[in-house]
Amino acid sequence: MIQDRQHIRRGKDVWVPTVCAGCYNCCGVRVHRVNGKVVEVVGDPKASNSKGYICAKGICRALDLHHPSRVVKPLKRTNPEKGIGVDPKWAEISWEEALDTITEKLGKVREEDPRKLIISHFDISAYKPTIAFALAYGTVNFIWNRADYCGSASHPVWLITNGALNSEIDFEYCKYFILWGTQLGHVVNTIPLVSGHALAERRRQGAKLVVVDPFCSNAAAKADEWLPLKPGTDGALALAMLNIMVYELGIYDVDFLKHQTNGPYLVQPDGHYLRDEESGEPLVWDLSDGRAKPYDADDLKDPAIEGNYEVAGGSYRPAFHVLKDHLGQIDVDEMSRICTIPIERIRSITKEFCEAARIGSTIEIEGHKLPLRPAGIDFKRGAAAHKGGFNTCFAIHLINLLVGAIDVPGGQRGVNPQGPYWSAETGPDGLLVPSDVITKYNKPYPGRQAKIPEHLDLQELFPAALFTRGLYPWGIDNPEVFGIPYKPEVMLHSRSNLMLNSHNPHAMAETLKKLKFQVSMVMFIDETAEFADIILPDAHEFERWDIFPANDPYAFIAPGPGEWYWLMRQPVVEPPEGTRPFLEVYFELAERLGILDEMYQIGNDSWVIDEQYRFEKGKEYTIRDIAERQAKTILGPDFSWDRLQETSCMVSRKKTIEEAFPRMFFKSRVPIYLEYLLKHGKDVKAVTDELGLEWDFTPYSPVPVWIPCEAHADDEGYDLIVTNGKVPTHQFSVTTENLWIDEIAVRNPYTYSVMIHTSVAEKKGLETGDKVCVESRYGKVTGRLMVTELIHPECIGTCGTFGHWAKGMPISLNKGVSHNQLLPPPSLKRIDTLTGQIDTCIRAKIYKAGERDDA
Amino acid sequence: MPRYGMVIDLKKCIGCYSCVVACKAEHNTPNGLFQTTVLEKELGRFPNSIRVFMPVLCNHCEEATCVDVCPTEATYKRDDGVVMIDFDKCIGCGACIEHCPYHARDFVVDDRTVFPDGKTVFVKPVYQKIPKKVALKCDFCFYRVEKGLLPACVEVCPTAARIFGDVEDTKSEVHELMEKYSAWTMLPDEGTKPQVYYIG
Repeated sequence: MIQDRQHIRRGKDVWVPTVCAGCYNCCGVRVHRVNGKVVEVVGDPKASNSKGYICAKGICRALDLHHPSRVVKPLKRTNPEKGIGVDPKWAEISWEEALDTITEKLGKVREEDPRKLIISHFDISAYKPTIAFALAYGTVNFIWNRADYCGSASHPVWLITNGALNSEIDFEYCKYFILWGTQLGHVVNTIPLVSGHALAERRRQGAKLVVVDPFCSNAAAKADEWLPLKPGTDGALALAMLNIMVYELGIYDVDFLKHQTNGPYLVQPDGHYLRDEESGEPLVWDLSDGRAKPYDADDLKDPAIEGNYEVAGGSYRPAFHVLKDHLGQIDVDEMSRICTIPIERIRSITKEFCEAARIGSTIEIEGHKLPLRPAGIDFKRGAAAHKGGFNTCFAIHLINLLVGAIDVPGGQRGVNPQGPYWSAETGPDGLLVPSDVITKYNKPYPGRQAKIPEHLDLQELFPAALFTRGLYPWGIDNPEVFGIPYKPEVMLHSRSNLMLNSHNPHAMAETLKKLKFQVSMVMFIDETAEFADIILPDAHEFERWDIFPANDPYAFIAPGPGEWYWLMRQPVVEPPEGTRPFLEVYFELAERLGILDEMYQIGNDSWVIDEQYRFEKGKEYTIRDIAERQAKTILGPDFSWDRLQETSCMVSRKKTIEEAFPRMFFKSRVPIYLEYLLKHGKDVKAVTDELGLEWDFTPYSPVPVWIPCEAHADDEGYDLIVTNGKVPTHQFSVTTENLWIDEIAVRNPYTYSVMIHTSVAEKKGLETGDKVCVESRYGKVTGRLMVTELIHPECIGTCGTFGHWAKGMPISLNKGVSHNQLLPPPSLKRIDTLTGQIDTCIRAKIYKAGERDDA
Repeated sequence: MPRYGMVIDLKKCIGCYSCVVACKAEHNTPNGLFQTTVLEKELGRFPNSIRVFMPVLCNHCEEATCVDVCPTEATYKRDDGVVMIDFDKCIGCGACIEHCPYHARDFVVDDRTVFPDGKTVFVKPVYQKIPKKVALKCDFCFYRVEKGLLPACVEVCPTAARIFGDVEDTKSEVHELMEKYSAWTMLPDEGTKPQVYYIG
């Protein structure tokens, strides 16, 4: 058996440094164990990502281990009928019986067609080993979870421009922050303790904060200006700002556009680049000698970004000029009407931002003269999770790009595109591509070849996407529609509550029922685990080892100047008898299936293992063994476990200036004109035509266009749009079953409430405390009403992922609402056909649903 | 002898509730009770409405009403300014709870941190176990302060919105902030002279 329990630190009263999993950020913590029990979690002053601070979620992790509803015995379903409210009639079984049954099932399915297996979880530290398991087994269906909910549309935008998965703003030098549908720096979003501390300090010193959000979120509460736009109209607001920048203010960074972007690339009337006949490289017009030449010609001095240029008998404009012409078509008054932000307010914010960017200013850091652009915009789910998500995100990001505020001091920045063992590269046409370490197979640029799908998430139909995980139900329900030649049968599931975090649960129930054999590795029997055939009791994060580092370096190490720090998760206590960490189970299943060797060999190539530490065939390695080899690779051969006595955080070295502010050191250019989408759109059309599918090619535009959501069309009787936001005390449904967090949430006026504006409440005769039903065409939820001035009058506001109904979740039972239940399963009209992003805008009505709840 | 007080920077507070939970965990405060919390308030009309986060705790008043009304001297003020409750002397009469102008005190009915099954109780080592039938409120984590540590809520705050120290020491950070940002206290007309100051 592959396990590591013998390595838990001894002692009656000890503090064990490890890594929190209250959210995905992996902050360093110190956990107090007394007489074998976890009693306390505090911040780790020596951890670079927490600096002794800790959030509410982290402190509360001490409680979940002791929850009496924890599953501590493997269970099997004895009632073959599955459904919401159907008692599975669990029977306790031994681990041996459970693993025998699972192995037999997996073995049989693997012989038939390994692609029938789906791996599902949202545990970032476990991504790499479970992907290796999937590849060794032979399935392509990993990993189903709802990470796409916030990021399918936004991540590709950063990947093609920053070469990074995630985005942030330079807290040290920025003086004008715009948070757009995100709460970066408010203990929500990435690297929360570092960014929370830094942004508060910067605001205290006078930096301006603008927040774009239909609801006055925690971030909006701290903003100097809150821009409460109508949900899903972020693209309209961004396009209006771009028009104002370029036409009314005439402010853009000409130097940056000429030398750091594809702005000078000459464009043909059909939208494609004009290419050099010999080399095939895009041509630019050099004003210095009045000649067209390849973008990377040695003698290129002054590429034009505006004007019409004659080349070989044709007339061509640079890409920036095409973009500018396109922006000139934008009717700013119409955009203002759509997003409901008054045009004068849009003008003043745009002007302030452009002026704050101080185009032309420079700063000297460590002997390097770099542009200083102390203004930046960060955006995420609020802007992204819409029908036109990619176009919207790109339009917003263009505001950063046109002032050159990207990966230079002061501006927006990608999270570590450049690191100790990875680097963004120069791709086709001289444009930036992210490192293989960040995304190996699914680079949005240059993208992949569209084809008939093999994956159940239909990713082949989205060749310029990063991941399309939200589309699994679409593929599982309709494999034949998409030409998928098999039907899924088995799912290994853990740590992702698909029933609650996706869409209407009745529809999701039908999807789960199509999987003949579901194994759920869980601590609590939640709504998704209720559909399992076998339940395996999982361990808490304080009861397990993880591969190293727990904090994915390209996502969860603070970007900008600082140090490279790596966190090791180690157990504080043994898992309770009868439970096992789910990752350990994957290794055991691999061993039983005879694919363990193959899994390690895949690991040799993808887990950051130096040549000298490679796994040998025929040997067994525990998760701790793997972590040790990774640590030696990253930290050097002198790594020893003694380093984990005081802190889980290990620093390898200071970042270089090239790593901290990479833009001016990259040889690649940043796209402001997305020519590559033309080819992808054409390729996808060929495939969808072959499949006889209706498809939407509007998003495949080289310049950003405004694409409304389904919810923006009037629908009689459904008069409001439901919006959903995060709160700092909760992370997805990870935190909902926590005693202390729940106590706070119950007392907070907003967290568990349904919110509408005072004027709407008056019209409908509703009052705070009323029990209300929120009903869309696809689902309904009931909750307690909070009448507020903090929400856009065309909205119904909800927070978090609540509304549990599973008996195994007694604390969170019937608390709050789940916005996702109002959504339909994915369909053409409700996804971004470029990135697979789910549109979470939904029209609904609200009405009284019974007696008041004055609690 | 220092005179302890706290400055709360409302500009910095982001309403994350880390302080609330840190306090809860430090004292293992029983279910449903809090020795500090964050109040939320809406001001103005949309779209010019604002949302305010207001951390609150015992004000450790100079002229503490609770000390005056306590019939058993269970509530008393230390020389360093911390207003204390001696649980051994407290008879749970509730006079202090009724008279505190800030509603900073609670009455302990159930002294447990208990899960919904009604049986599973979370216990942890604490400086002082909170008994039933007493008044309860913030003690500035005096036992931590005596050891040179900060109160739990101060140590944990990710935005450093809570600052603790000697309000009479002109060189202390709290004093400097009070001067620089014209600190104010809650309900000054009550004449209680709170030692929790707000800025921002």
